[in-house]
Amino acid sequence: MPEANPNGRGARHRRALGAGFVCAALVVGAAAGTTPALAAKKAKKKVPLIVYSAQGYDQAMVHAFQAATGIPTKLDTNSTGPLLAQIQASKNNPHWGLLWVDGQTAFAELDDEHLLVKHFEPKVKWNALGKRVIPKDKSFVPTGITLMAAVAYTSKVLKSPPTSWSTLLSPKWKNDVGMNTPTQSGPTYPFIAGIMNYLGSINKGKQFFQKLKANGLVIHTTNGPTLAALASGQIKLALVQSSAAIGAEHTAPTLKVKYLSPVTMLPSNIGIDAKSTKTEIAEAKRFASFVLSKLGQAVMKTGTPTGDSLYYPVVQGIKPRPELPSLASVKVQHTNPYVWGPREASINSWFVNTITK
Amino acid sequence: MTLADRDSGLLALDVLPPAGSQGAERGVPARLPPAGRITASRFATAGRALRFGMWGLVALFILVPCVCFLALSVSPRLFDQGPQWFTLGYLKTIFTGSSAVSIVNSLWVSASAALLGLVIGLPIAWLAGRTSLPGRRFVSLGMWLVLLLPSWLPGIGWERLVVRDGVLTRFGLGSAFVTHAIMGPFGVVLLLGLRAVPFTYLTITASLAGLGQEFEDAARVHGASRPAALRLVLPILAPAIWSALAIGFAESISDFGVAYTLAYNSHFSLATYQLYAAIGNFPPSFPAAAAIGLVLVASVALPLTLQARALRGRSYAVLSARTRQAVRRQLSTKGTILATGCVALFFGLALGAPAVGTVTGSLLADFGASSRITFANYSGVLHIPGVSGPIYRSLVYGVVTASITVVAGFMVARLLSRRRTRSTAMLDFLLLATVALPGVVFAAGYIFAYNLPFLSRIGVDIYQTVWLLVIGYIASSLPTNARVLVGPVSQVQSSLHDAARAHGAGPVRAWLSGVLPAVSRPVVMAWLFTFSGIFLELPMSQLLYAPGSPPLSVAINLNIAGYHFGLGLAQAVIGVAIALCLVCVVLLAYRLLAPKGWRRIGSTIRG
Repeated sequence: MPEANPNGRGARHRRALGAGFVCAALVVGAAAGTTPALAAKKAKKKVPLIVYSAQGYDQAMVHAFQAATGIPTKLDTNSTGPLLAQIQASKNNPHWGLLWVDGQTAFAELDDEHLLVKHFEPKVKWNALGKRVIPKDKSFVPTGITLMAAVAYTSKVLKSPPTSWSTLLSPKWKNDVGMNTPTQSGPTYPFIAGIMNYLGSINKGKQFFQKLKANGLVIHTTNGPTLAALASGQIKLALVQSSAAIGAEHTAPTLKVKYLSPVTMLPSNIGIDAKSTKTEIAEAKRFASFVLSKLGQAVMKTGTPTGDSLYYPVVQGIKPRPELPSLASVKVQHTNPYVWGPREASINSWFVNTITK
Repeated sequence: MTLADRDSGLLALDVLPPAGSQGAERGVPARLPPAGRITASRFATAGRALRFGMWGLVALFILVPCVCFLALSVSPRLFDQGPQWFTLGYLKTIFTGSSAVSIVNSLWVSASAALLGLVIGLPIAWLAGRTSLPGRRFVSLGMWLVLLLPSWLPGIGWERLVVRDGVLTRFGLGSAFVTHAIMGPFGVVLLLGLRAVPFTYLTITASLAGLGQEFEDAARVHGASRPAALRLVLPILAPAIWSALAIGFAESISDFGVAYTLAYNSHFSLATYQLYAAIGNFPPSFPAAAAIGLVLVASVALPLTLQARALRGRSYAVLSARTRQAVRRQLSTKGTILATGCVALFFGLALGAPAVGTVTGSLLADFGASSRITFANYSGVLHIPGVSGPIYRSLVYGVVTASITVVAGFMVARLLSRRRTRSTAMLDFLLLATVALPGVVFAAGYIFAYNLPFLSRIGVDIYQTVWLLVIGYIASSLPTNARVLVGPVSQVQSSLHDAARAHGAGPVRAWLSGVLPAVSRPVVMAWLFTFSGIFLELPMSQLLYAPGSPPLSVAINLNIAGYHFGLGLAQAVIGVAIALCLVCVVLLAYRLLAPKGWRRIGSTIRG
């Protein structure tokens, strides 16, 4: 049998092809062969619980949970937007164990897509606020409540803050009101939905924001930049999340906070990935129960004292931090996430194209 | 290597056909003695395998993720992002309403910014490289600092400066005209143009380094005036100029930092913001974002076509062993004052404003309500447990990414600088198109492409591991890196390599001793350039970082977007300072450790 010419064109191509495949295989193999997930599978170790969270105290909570249960936990801490984008992009092959963010509309949407574990409720005694925000099918677990929107102002500049939402439309507040954009700030859509809910219809809500825009509404991206605009004097009233406003009050004593009736509840919630393994789901349930335990609540209250720790608890026997104003004199409303969730994309698009523009 | 081998190599080189002929292109000598033929053949096969491997990696890590993402614009069902297998609905939306407006805005703004970058960057590169400009050594450092700043920082800085009751107003310098000008299209073009200057500066500087004095001398000897000599020299820099324009355009059109801050707050919508808004909405609309991404990719055809037309059929190989050191021109007193003033003005605009924004944000603990200076935020950064982890991680990611990218970038640049073929043209377009794609497109594309259920089943589970993040960093840095190197690499004549081979060096040694010295400076610059881009990279880091291991940019963003605006800015300042230190260390190491001959190439002598 004649030997093939080792330097022939075909042989060269085959060698080049082979080298290419070897190169690619080496890269992919090296990458794949050392991934933590695969290594864990090979060693038959406990699957680590992956926590997707946008809470300021999440790092402290993960440490406390690991110490208390011995369950290895990995934290993906991020803004709400990127976390939800990750979940949506990876929904065919999810890598998250539980999601812990503010607002219930995203959870309602995930529930509608059958991405959440249903009928799970930790064994706790809910207080009055907690009972109002538990979903019927128990597909997610509320862990605390902040309010949207609190009105932050500087007492040095402003002696008499507004008393109702409608007064913001008066010429007195022309060019003085600022808020966040819903596409960048997770808590802002619940605020917009809350105003629409309060005024009785989407159209009336749209008219309100259009009038606010005509009155010189200033829009920034998130709580931080909006509060910075308030401090620099660009605006006189900042409509931001209550925890952000009260936290800012701590660093800038002249900054004050007022709630206008009705103020909308913005619960933080935990949802568990329905496509996870049984072990991961069990671990995630333990995590949710731990968060609502006395120890977990203590971690939540101390994790970020000038940030997310400024929440109203949802379980009996836990008091809010002393900095939080009483809710006795203000009407607090809850918007149904299953009604307002499906409207989120279209209302946000309308807001960006009409109000932000 | 034995003496016989060397001899064979020498003989092989002696009978190589002239450069540019068919045989030389393929790397196959026409008539060779047996030993030489085998050596040359192995060399050619290795080269071909390398090219094939390069194409394979580009396809795997750049083409596939981008195609996966962009395909969603017509087929959302492909990755379960909608019910339709085929629809033109999302593409139609980009020609109407706010999407169309933002795309038109992005196109003209990016073109203007690229041009502005060239108009400012070219003279600065010439002043710093070829004249006696005072403080010229600091120009390079300043450019690195401009490059190190994430683009949202100048955005915030300018805003804080000019807004109603902003810093200028507090100092009695406020003006409605200035506020109106900056908080609008002019301000957006200005900021993006200033961001494009370092790209132009680096590209032109690298090419100027290879341009010896002989061309200018030849023109002057033949009676040409200085402007006429300049007219001769400028076309030789054409590849670098077009590269700078193309990079400036692509970087501007893919920028999100300015779109997200100054442009957004000026109600001037850019395409990247629309793209992010589509993803940031809930549920995220990846198909809508992909449709905008498709337009961004298509838009880079514009500078590439212009570039191809301008450079077609010409050779720009000017760097050879005969290249003479350029003479540094002595500026007159008037010229010195004017040049220094212009350069200082540029740095004032590019660095001064972000500095004001950062200072007011990071040194005023109470969100800037008072003018009381405090280091509370810096103290807070140093006392947060685990704060050093993200900094260390980002440093390692930056160093690893830059080291791998610069090798791959050089190889790609070499491919691109060769004779234009269909495959190199395609590679060129592919690379520039990816520069125009925002990082979030890359990141989402990686999730779609490398998180498929079947890949997990066969054990390839790289999503949310450091591996995929670093691969993503490399893939997103490679295009710009390669384009920065194309200018200098295209100047290197093959005679440099051939001469080393003729003196008995093997292929690798010939490259190390003949070519590397000539390109060492641009390679170091490209390394630093990549490192700077990755160190504070945000969009890709946000979506791809391995849980439990956040990079610095993610940590900063969480603070700024949330409750700790000042703390986040303090973190950013510390991060930029650390990165700048590393840049200084690398530049110093090159100066101290590189052989004198390496540093001589591209340097100047007193006139």
